[in-house]
Amino acid sequence: MQIYVCVKHVPDSAVNITIIDKSHIDENVTFLLNPYDEHAVTEAVRIRDACQENSEVIVVCLGKADAENTIRSALAMGADRGLLIVSNEEHDSIETARALKAAMALKKTEKPSLIFTGKESIDAEGMQTMFRLGALFDFPVATNVTRVDIEETRAIVVSELSGGNANTYELSLPCVIGAGRGLNTPKYPTFPDIVKSRKRPVEKIAFTDLTIDSPKAGMKIIQLEALKQSRNPKEITGDPGSVAQKILSILEQEAKVV
Amino acid sequence: MNEKYDAIIIGAGVIGCPIAYELSKMGYKTLNVDKLHDAGEGSTAGSCAIVRAHYSTADGVAMAYEGFKYWLDWKNYLDNAEDEKGLAKYMNTGSILIKSQGHDWKKVQKNYDEVGVKYEEWDNDKIKEMVPVVDLHEFWPVKRPEDPEFFDEPTKEVEGAIFCAEGGYVNDPALSAHNIMRAAEAKGATFMFNAEVVDIRNENDKVTGITLKDGTQIDAPVVVNVGGPHSFIINKMAKGVWEGCNIKTKSLRHEVMYCPSPDGYNYLDDGYHMSDGDIGCYVRPEVGNTFLIGSEDPECDPQEWVSPDDFYAGRGGKGIDNVLTDEQWKAQCYRLGKRIPSLEVPNQPKGVVDLYDCSDDWIPVYDKSDLPGYYMAIGTSGNQYKNAPVVGRMMAELIDACEKGLDHDKEPFQYKFKYTERSTDVGFFSRKREINYNSSFSVNG
Repeated sequence: MQIYVCVKHVPDSAVNITIIDKSHIDENVTFLLNPYDEHAVTEAVRIRDACQENSEVIVVCLGKADAENTIRSALAMGADRGLLIVSNEEHDSIETARALKAAMALKKTEKPSLIFTGKESIDAEGMQTMFRLGALFDFPVATNVTRVDIEETRAIVVSELSGGNANTYELSLPCVIGAGRGLNTPKYPTFPDIVKSRKRPVEKIAFTDLTIDSPKAGMKIIQLEALKQSRNPKEITGDPGSVAQKILSILEQEAKVV
Repeated sequence: MNEKYDAIIIGAGVIGCPIAYELSKMGYKTLNVDKLHDAGEGSTAGSCAIVRAHYSTADGVAMAYEGFKYWLDWKNYLDNAEDEKGLAKYMNTGSILIKSQGHDWKKVQKNYDEVGVKYEEWDNDKIKEMVPVVDLHEFWPVKRPEDPEFFDEPTKEVEGAIFCAEGGYVNDPALSAHNIMRAAEAKGATFMFNAEVVDIRNENDKVTGITLKDGTQIDAPVVVNVGGPHSFIINKMAKGVWEGCNIKTKSLRHEVMYCPSPDGYNYLDDGYHMSDGDIGCYVRPEVGNTFLIGSEDPECDPQEWVSPDDFYAGRGGKGIDNVLTDEQWKAQCYRLGKRIPSLEVPNQPKGVVDLYDCSDDWIPVYDKSDLPGYYMAIGTSGNQYKNAPVVGRMMAELIDACEKGLDHDKEPFQYKFKYTERSTDVGFFSRKREINYNSSFSVNG
């Protein structure tokens, strides 16, 4: 079973993001594996380990040369090998999906049985790639998936919807799954895992060496603006009992989470 | 007319507050000014607040051992002053010093014997019994993960450890400074926040007061620089002070990491503070059952000297601003991952970045200055938090003695510790000293 996980090299959510040239961010910050992709890698490794037959997890990433760090993170989490499509350009989700597909098709003998992505990337939050991959491969797609059960020819998945609802789908294999946060607890590597993963190969392919049909339409960022969030903290005062009552009432009536 | 005080203390961190507290108890009318909004919110808040006795000098050990007694007796130390935020808690975990080439542990042991610090020697079996998650291979010398040799298989083992049952950490360093502020206020001290000092005024070569950024002038015959990472900027405002210091201070950027404890190991409740020079790290428990991982400044790690104003404003770019870096996250977590092979290292760095007010030899300057009336409690170099209550008393007595005519440069003030009853020569901390090569030149002090 060939399980592909498409990952993205994204800025750490804790860094100070600075916009430069109106449409770019200053990339002189820490980049790491997109957090949703951590769930995808963890699930892919779990499924591989549960398989009787020879299976492998292949991590694919489109990015600059330093995106190899993100692939290395995924390898340390248990993936078997990596494919880095190197490009210094920015690509929209249409080109990205085409490049990912072309990279997966490089070895004719290998065909994906399952493709994972994160449900979104924390930088662009586009939520497009898994659907475009599904369309290109003609595979069914489910996203924001919180449970995956693989059977012989199908995947039974639970897909979380807004408002706490969830649907259960049966997808024929191969399929594309967008991992949601509830799918698992990411399994982070120990030092011995990291040592073992250092020998796992990362193949690099230039974006320009891939045969990709030029899309008829595209999308590019023309302007980025920092969102100014207004935070209005409130102080809750009183004795511990009345403070607890007030917090409960906020959670019930304002936040509506209990 | 300018407001007048007997002493102005610049800074309301964990050293500035106890100086105010002790001076107030001695009858001084004190004012602390701080550019931040509350006590302990500067580099004190970023402190790991570790309370341990091992230092590379006997004086360092003695002071830390004395400080330990204050933390144990916190409520009494504060004279039962109330704080609406609650009281900081001292957590006595016990402290393990791994015997390794990374620490001059024989010197520490000699210092313990000299000062009378109680300790046990543990062999590796005992360490394994007490800390079952550890791998006791020797990994020395400390390297960075960018170095392929970092991943070499170890062959030898470390030589055991020295264990001090008296050691641990304070759970909320900012709160501890706040507690002391409330205790000082109860003795009459005044605190002013959001107040940035831009000038130290003098007349006839004697300090006369400070000027704030908004132009306000406040007068006092005594001004004490406890500005933490800003100490060198403040010293340069005072006539002749910077030039008169043989030991200078600068601000050094430092990262501390939080990494979850391995599954099944309750580090928060069962763990020890551990100094491990073999991997260049120290650790202590943190809430959420995490390891707080500090760096012992191994030679292979870059030192990033920064402008404190740029740093706190988040300016300066990757590696010199106030955001953790992936490189250092990996360095510190992987080093601990060698010692604790079941430690899982998340991809996203989590922790604290702050500044040390670092002196040339990593030993503080607790002294008068070349400008009469101007004093300094600076250069704490990441290793003085635990000593704060002792330093408060020692500085107050030093200031009082100097103001009453002592020439501390000629006849160094001798301070008698309250609990251990040992005397220490405050001249040890002189600005005029030559660099002390007995120092570890690291956070270990």
